[in-house]
Amino acid sequence: MTDTTDADRFAVIANLWNSRAKGLILEMDLKVERADKDGVQLRMPFNPDFCLDEEGTLLHGGVLTALLDSAFGLANFLAIDDVQTMATLDLRVDYLRPAKSRADVMVFADCYRQTRHIAFGSGKIWFDSGDKEEVARGAATFALTRGKGDSLLDKLNTTGPGS
Amino acid sequence: MNIIDIQARCDRVPFFRFLGIKFDEADSTQILAQMPFADRFIGNPVLDTYHGGIIASVMETVASLSVLDNMDSPPAKPINLTVDYLRPGFAGTLMTRATISRKGRRMASVETVAWLEDERKPIAKALFHFLLV
Repeated sequence: MTDTTDADRFAVIANLWNSRAKGLILEMDLKVERADKDGVQLRMPFNPDFCLDEEGTLLHGGVLTALLDSAFGLANFLAIDDVQTMATLDLRVDYLRPAKSRADVMVFADCYRQTRHIAFGSGKIWFDSGDKEEVARGAATFALTRGKGDSLLDKLNTTGPGS
Repeated sequence: MNIIDIQARCDRVPFFRFLGIKFDEADSTQILAQMPFADRFIGNPVLDTYHGGIIASVMETVASLSVLDNMDSPPAKPINLTVDYLRPGFAGTLMTRATISRKGRRMASVETVAWLEDERKPIAKALFHFLLV
C-alpha cells in the first residue's frame, strides 16, 4: 500500500468512527485530532455530567478509563489492517493526579505491538491547559480475529462503528 | 452503613446520576448494586453491548463507596485499577458486587465483580486501590 491509500483509509475510518458514533462515544462528544497507524489523539470537551461535584470541578476517574478504552479501540482499528473483531481482555489505569480542570480532556493511544491474536495498547490523558501534565496513564490488551473480507471497516460501513 | 444513606450520597454526584446506580445491600465489607441498561452506555453499536469504560466506571463507583467508614467521610481517592473483561456485556441490568480485600489506615484494596443474569458468569472482574487520606 502506498502512503496515499493509507492516508485515505485512516481518513475513512476516522470519519466513520465520528459520524456513526452511538452510545457513550456520542455522549463524550469526541473529536478526532489525529488518526494513523502510529496512534490516535482525541479531544473531549468538559461535561458537567461526568463530574463528582455539582460545581463541576473534578472529573470522575471512570470517565478517564472510558476515554482510554475508546481511544484504544480506534487505535487498534487503524493499526491492524485485517481486523474483523476485537475484544478488550484487560485494562489497567493509573490515576496520576486529580482530574481537576474544566479544560478539554486530551487522550493519546497507540497499538504498540500486534500479534496474530493479541494487540497491546498504551495511552495517556492530559488537560489542554497550563503545563499539560499527565492526569492518567493506561495500558490494555485485546483479543483479535483477523481475515480478508467482512472486516470491521465493512461492518462499520453497513451497521455502525465498533469501539 | 445502610443503603438509604449510600443512595442519598450517590444521588448528589452528577456522574453517579448519569450512571443511575441503585444500591441493594451493604455492610462493612461489601456493597451490592445494580444499574439498568440505557442506550447512552453502548460501546459497540454493532452488538449494542456496554462500553467497557461504563462497566469499569460502575465498578469503581461501588468500590469507592464500600471503603468509606460512614457517609460523612471524604471521598476515597482512586490510585489505580485493573479490569478483566470476561464475557460480552449485552444489554441488561448490570449487577456489581464490591468486596473489600484489605483496608488499612491509608490504603484500601477492593475486588469487584460485575454480571448480568448469573453471578457465577461474570462479565468483568476488577481490582481497585484507594488512598483514604
